[in-house]
Amino acid sequence: MALEMSGEYELPQAREVVWKALNDAEILKKCIPGCETLEKLSDSEFQATVKLSIGPVSARFKGRVKLEDIDAPNGYKIAGEGEGGVAGFAKGFANVALAEAGEGTKLTYKAEAATGGKIAQLGQRLIAGSAKKTADRFFENFVAALQDYK
Amino acid sequence: MYAFKYEKPWSLAAAAALLSESGDAKLLAGGQTLLPAMKLRLAGPSTIIDLSKVPGLSGVTREGDNLVIGALTKHVEVMNSAEVQKSIPALAHLVSVLGDPAVRNRGTIGGSLANNDPSADYPAAVLALNGTVHTNKRKIAADDFFKGLFETALAADEIIERVSFPVPEKAGYEKFRNPASRFALVGVFVAKTKDGVRVAVTGAGESGVFRVKEMEAALAKDWSPKAIEGVKVSASGIIADLHGTADYRAHLAGVIARRAVAKAG
Repeated sequence: MALEMSGEYELPQAREVVWKALNDAEILKKCIPGCETLEKLSDSEFQATVKLSIGPVSARFKGRVKLEDIDAPNGYKIAGEGEGGVAGFAKGFANVALAEAGEGTKLTYKAEAATGGKIAQLGQRLIAGSAKKTADRFFENFVAALQDYK
Repeated sequence: MYAFKYEKPWSLAAAAALLSESGDAKLLAGGQTLLPAMKLRLAGPSTIIDLSKVPGLSGVTREGDNLVIGALTKHVEVMNSAEVQKSIPALAHLVSVLGDPAVRNRGTIGGSLANNDPSADYPAAVLALNGTVHTNKRKIAADDFFKGLFETALAADEIIERVSFPVPEKAGYEKFRNPASRFALVGVFVAKTKDGVRVAVTGAGESGVFRVKEMEAALAKDWSPKAIEGVKVSASGIIADLHGTADYRAHLAGVIARRAVAKAG
């Protein structure tokens, strides 16, 4: 079952700055909740380890993060999928759009997430909440990381 | 691959030290959530710190206007406690419909609160009764304790010692439970204390237990099921799954709240 999420953030930074940050591996690593490693494979592809911890469940996912449909500086699609061993798998993507709003930038996103395997069977009632929390946290972290970004 | 270290400290200070030393340690209270997760390999902590030998963490006492329950007190002990039945019968009832006999005989109040499952029963009681969580470091008011889905204000090396509940004038708990898992599809705890009326809903919120302030205001004026007939719980942020849609759960919260008030008398 795919979950859909969306959100909107007003950022004081100029669109070019926000766009640069969205493409910065260090910033992405800081913002992806539970991200332990993020290695650049190419300009648009990364290898990642993400530790997901929700209540009693704790699993380490290994997988890839890809940037697609790159349309600088208007937005892109950030997609990731990972294997969490016996826990199952998780995948998702977010379409991120940047628009100029006065001095600053308006960031909107639409995201979808899906899980499978044991984690999906057992955690069904928890997945919607967890996915939303993870997406919210990514963008909250991003807003915070932008504050001293140039 | 699944090996872990097992520690059984004899004091709270030793348990706290172990907890801050080992990065990936988990406290074991009743183990009713942690152990199934470990058996399913959904959790693999490096160290298990068994609290069963730490003295002074178990039991129920009445201290003035407060009922105090030790963190390691098992659900069945709360259910059968004459003091709980006398001081806060709604709490004894809550525990009697919590989980199944196995969970009630092993699970603990501290474990349930630290886990903060969005469908757990105890968080509703702590929030509605305006309880206080006492840890090895500080006292945390209910409104500050629950921080969202499976999240609490507890620091990584903080351990719950006991929970205190102000004895209310009136209180009631009603639960609509999933017949298979016995988790609350919706559970509502209502309480009238000298500090006012509080209504807490569990099982329904994506971020865990929450208060319904409109119901609290209505009940403060008129403590009756009729008083909250017109209050709608918004479906935004409500859990939707194969057991029920968000609209269904939001509607159910109203129905269950009225029953909880009726039960409180």
